[in-house]
Amino acid sequence: MKISVNTEIALTYLSTRKKQTLVASLGVMFGISMFIFMQSLMKGTNDYFEKMSFTNTPHIRLYSENKVADAHMLNSFLNDPSVKILTNPKQLKQTEGLTNPYGLIQQILKNKEVAAVTPQVTASVLYTSGSVQLTGNVAGVNIVEEDKMFDVQGNMVAGDFRDLNRVNSSILIGKGIADKLSLHVGDNITVTSASGNPTILRVIGIFATTIKQVDETKSYANISQAQNLLGKDRSYVTDIKINLRDYNNAPQVARELETITGYKAEDWVKANEQLKAAFKIRAIILNSVIGVLLLVAGFGIYNILNMTIYEKIKEIAILKAQGFSGPAVTSIFLQQAIYIGLMGGVVGVIVGFLITYGVSRVYIGAGTLKYLPMSFYTPHYIEAICFGVLTTIAAGFFPARKASRVDPVSIIRG
Amino acid sequence: MADTALKATNITKFFHDPVDMPVLKGISIEVKKGEFISIVGKSGCGKSTLLYVLSTMDTDYEGKLEINGELATGKTLNSLAALRNASIGFVFQFHYLLPDFTCLKNVMIPALKLGKYSYKEVEERAWEKLKMFGVEEQAKKRANKLSGGQQQRVAIARALINDPAIIMCDEPTGNLDSKNTNIVFDLFQKLSKEFNQTIITVTHDEDFAKRSDRIIEMADGEIRSHGH
Ligand SMILES: Nc1ncnc2c1ncn2[C@@H]1O[C@H](COP(=O)(O)OP(=O)(O)OP(=O)(O)O)[C@@H](O)[C@H]1O
Ligand SMILES: [Mg+2]
Repeated sequence: MKISVNTEIALTYLSTRKKQTLVASLGVMFGISMFIFMQSLMKGTNDYFEKMSFTNTPHIRLYSENKVADAHMLNSFLNDPSVKILTNPKQLKQTEGLTNPYGLIQQILKNKEVAAVTPQVTASVLYTSGSVQLTGNVAGVNIVEEDKMFDVQGNMVAGDFRDLNRVNSSILIGKGIADKLSLHVGDNITVTSASGNPTILRVIGIFATTIKQVDETKSYANISQAQNLLGKDRSYVTDIKINLRDYNNAPQVARELETITGYKAEDWVKANEQLKAAFKIRAIILNSVIGVLLLVAGFGIYNILNMTIYEKIKEIAILKAQGFSGPAVTSIFLQQAIYIGLMGGVVGVIVGFLITYGVSRVYIGAGTLKYLPMSFYTPHYIEAICFGVLTTIAAGFFPARKASRVDPVSIIRG
Repeated sequence: MADTALKATNITKFFHDPVDMPVLKGISIEVKKGEFISIVGKSGCGKSTLLYVLSTMDTDYEGKLEINGELATGKTLNSLAALRNASIGFVFQFHYLLPDFTCLKNVMIPALKLGKYSYKEVEERAWEKLKMFGVEEQAKKRANKLSGGQQQRVAIARALINDPAIIMCDEPTGNLDSKNTNIVFDLFQKLSKEFNQTIITVTHDEDFAKRSDRIIEMADGEIRSHGH
């Protein structure tokens, strides 16, 4: 093995100052392992909340929304593609619900990204039991498809959700509604929509999500039951819920579906803006903590190199007298920084993994969250090493440059 | 011209601290290849300062310096470093070794830097040089564990490792007994006569100076006598 003189000198300096080298590497190790731990915790948490949000939000929801008149509509109405300019456009009242929903579904299913599609009839209703009333909404769904997309089964606290298909005039209610109206499985509940007659339905099951507001308002009924509640016919559908193979593509697919169908397609990112805000805030907090950690590690390296250079200034002068150029001296000291960084980095990656693993095994049992959600994501480890090496180089650069500028004569003369 | 090892023309140098003071006042020297010359003069007359200029380490001067017929004045610091590494061996007035390294490594480092020989060859050559000065037993010791005289001999060995065309020494025998002084002198003479290496030493040792080829006498930043 052939190592250069510069490397040999750098390694000798590191090994004759074992303690300082160790302390500086520990600083880097600490920074890197914390970097990995915190990144893993943040990604784990974000993934967890993202998944949570999908237990009641589809990746894309297609619905009809009033929109502002535009030239495109006029053109398709007149069947004339010339350019028109509308002055003072007005909001157009759309027909309620989606036109030809089953045709739309066939169209949507043609998109390669789409994994599952299900229609829904949403009805705002008044729940009545005895003299107590409660506002809320009924989701008219195909409960089997709903279960596939949103894991209804996982939220069931009483009854069997499949009875929705087996029992006529049945309803599956949230736990909040059940508590407030003191209802149990088998009890009757009166449900009234704005446009239909009061209907008596039988409670066949109770579910509880982690979101209180949902449990206190939401109930499921068969899609035809919901249409009845609203006094609408069988082709009446208010929403089409779409899940994709990869939810990260939702914004883009939503835009495609909007142009194809002409209806509003809302992706989960828009529907969960507060979630995204939380992600962002967490990222800011995390990045500042990581920044501080790396800064501290960097200062450790900067410090030890500065001290070395202060102590070794005579030797630097001798090296230069013997023909070591400025760049050679820079290389000697930068290499020391890099070796400290690599040592700390490698150990830091291992320690970071161990901490992450250890913490992921700690039982916390907060609600549905049993263990801290930690992600084991390889890019974090690669990032950590890159950041570590960058920090050490940055920290080593200034002392190394200082060393390279030592004037041998003035030092040797004393 | 071809046999000139070093030529300095009208070298003038000032120290600005605490007041502007001329240390070298228009010095001109020419040294031939294979010459063994001594520079003598009172303490503080500027001998070390001159040697630093001649060795290309000090670039803060006026005048012209040529080494092996090549103009050194005005070259970049990096190319001067390469020039020193290959062609100039320097022994400091206060023998400076690298204390973290063994004596052997100290001698080897300039040669490893030069990269002309393999690691093995460099190691062998370094052993040889140490043997010449009778310090081979100290080879594996850390440099800071040696006596002053031993260190000085290791420093001379280091200056010779790359077979430099010019060897400059600032009182190389200051710490040596007469026996070792003789060893150094004989070796220098051999290098100059047999290997045509040029040797410039600053010395206070009158006997040493008298036995060299030529004595340059300095006083107060000027050359009194070129010894021709
Ligand atoms: N950095 C400096 N700043 C100002 N004056 C200096 C500096 N270095 C040396 N001098 C002065 O320059 C003069 C020459 O110094 P130099 O070291 O060359 O003397 P020298 O002939 O080598 O003496 P010695 O025989 O004692 O080694 C001295 O008067 C000294 O005080
Ligand atoms: Mg001197």
